[in-house]
Amino acid sequence: MPDHRVGTPEEWQAEREALLKEEKELTHRGDELTKKRQELPWVPVEKDYRFETSDGEKSLADLFDGRSQLLIYHFMFGPPYEAGCPVCSSIADSIAPQVPHLGARDTTALFSSRGPLEKLLAYRDRMGWEIDWVSTIGSGFHRDLGFFHTEEELGPFLESGEIPATVEQNAEMCGTDAAGYVAEGPGLSVYALDDGTVYRTYVTTARGLEGPAMAYYGLLDRTPKGRNEPPDEPLWVRRHDEYDAA
Amino acid sequence: MPEHAVATNEEWQVARKELLDAEKAHMRSGDDLARRRRELPWVPVEKEYVFETDRGTSTLAELFEGRSQLLVYHFMFGFGYRVDEENPGCTGCSLVADHFDGVIPHLNGHAVTLVAESLAPLEELRPYKQRMGWRFPWVSSGGSDFKHDFGAAFTEEQQRSHAEYNFREVTGIEPQREGMSVFALQDGVVHHTYSTYDRGVERFMGTYGYLDVAPLGRNEEGPADWWQRHDEYETRKKERR
Repeated sequence: MPDHRVGTPEEWQAEREALLKEEKELTHRGDELTKKRQELPWVPVEKDYRFETSDGEKSLADLFDGRSQLLIYHFMFGPPYEAGCPVCSSIADSIAPQVPHLGARDTTALFSSRGPLEKLLAYRDRMGWEIDWVSTIGSGFHRDLGFFHTEEELGPFLESGEIPATVEQNAEMCGTDAAGYVAEGPGLSVYALDDGTVYRTYVTTARGLEGPAMAYYGLLDRTPKGRNEPPDEPLWVRRHDEYDAA
Repeated sequence: MPEHAVATNEEWQVARKELLDAEKAHMRSGDDLARRRRELPWVPVEKEYVFETDRGTSTLAELFEGRSQLLVYHFMFGFGYRVDEENPGCTGCSLVADHFDGVIPHLNGHAVTLVAESLAPLEELRPYKQRMGWRFPWVSSGGSDFKHDFGAAFTEEQQRSHAEYNFREVTGIEPQREGMSVFALQDGVVHHTYSTYDRGVERFMGTYGYLDVAPLGRNEEGPADWWQRHDEYETRKKERR
């Protein structure tokens, strides 16, 4: 017998139906939140952010590529990184296959990082992602959204002596140190283009990325073991081509 | 000026923080439901099921591929579900399946195997899989009652009278519907732990996660009104802005 409680199909069915009622309520509350997101006011983006892309230098408005909506994933790949953040890479695994479907919904999706374009594109080739990736010219674009931190800001965290094992592990996997790694932050920012003006409509980070961009959590949340992430162990996530080596 | 409300950054911050509180409450309710899912009793699977796979005939236990957890996506394909001759696979299931290859290495790295099953024979599944560029394991379940028993395929009698789908009685059910069933393997015994159907599958469609944060949202009359296979958006353009 397994450690887990075993039931008859009838017992399972009764409990499953009770849970379904709550799952539906959660789905409907999610629908309401989506509506509220759409009701957020739009903020005109007044700064002229510039990006280096495989088609030359571009503005934020250029990045829409003829569509009216733009989703940017702020991918942690700073100038000292030798490879992209493993967790951002798992997020990218979720985003890249969506590009044709999102494109059909008037939405361009791409990645933005502070690292040099040639490193980003070489890493993209290794990972097999078919999505545009741009390198910011200057740090303002990530900085203004809170996805780039200065050494001064990070000082207390870095000197606390309490750097989580996950941070140490990921820094090493990126070929940098903790300071280099956490200078970058992950996030998703969303824009609308209307009459030639770019508006910022939505920004999210941290666990706010789980819903849209970490598809494996949606699946794990329905498995018997769930996420199975003990607090005393570093995160299990690896790059998709590195699990066998881990 | 756009038709939408425009604000200063400070005004947006206030509205965004208020929404963030609601998003966090929603996420914690989701965490609570994930915990409750894990508390459901497990039901031993006593019937024998067989599947045709790329490596020959397999039992349900063999589909785990040595891992302890198994997710099976009920993919609508063949036997009463055929869109047309060129496009035998369900369009919505194809959109769901576009999300699999990106997550499979991560799931496999965390003790979970994900496979798709369809009633159609492998010879029919293979060309479509190749066309779509998919790598995930796709097995044929037509040799036993698996798809029927886990609530994703319906007999002609059920289609004429009534059937249970998504844990309720429905009339006029289609021959097949979408769903995901989950199993645990312990001490050689397979247990059914969870199944989800209908909008329960949306959580596996990352595309909706992105559209739900985009300014226009899902922008659809009904879920299926814009879906295309990923290689068909150009040829079957139904632009709506």
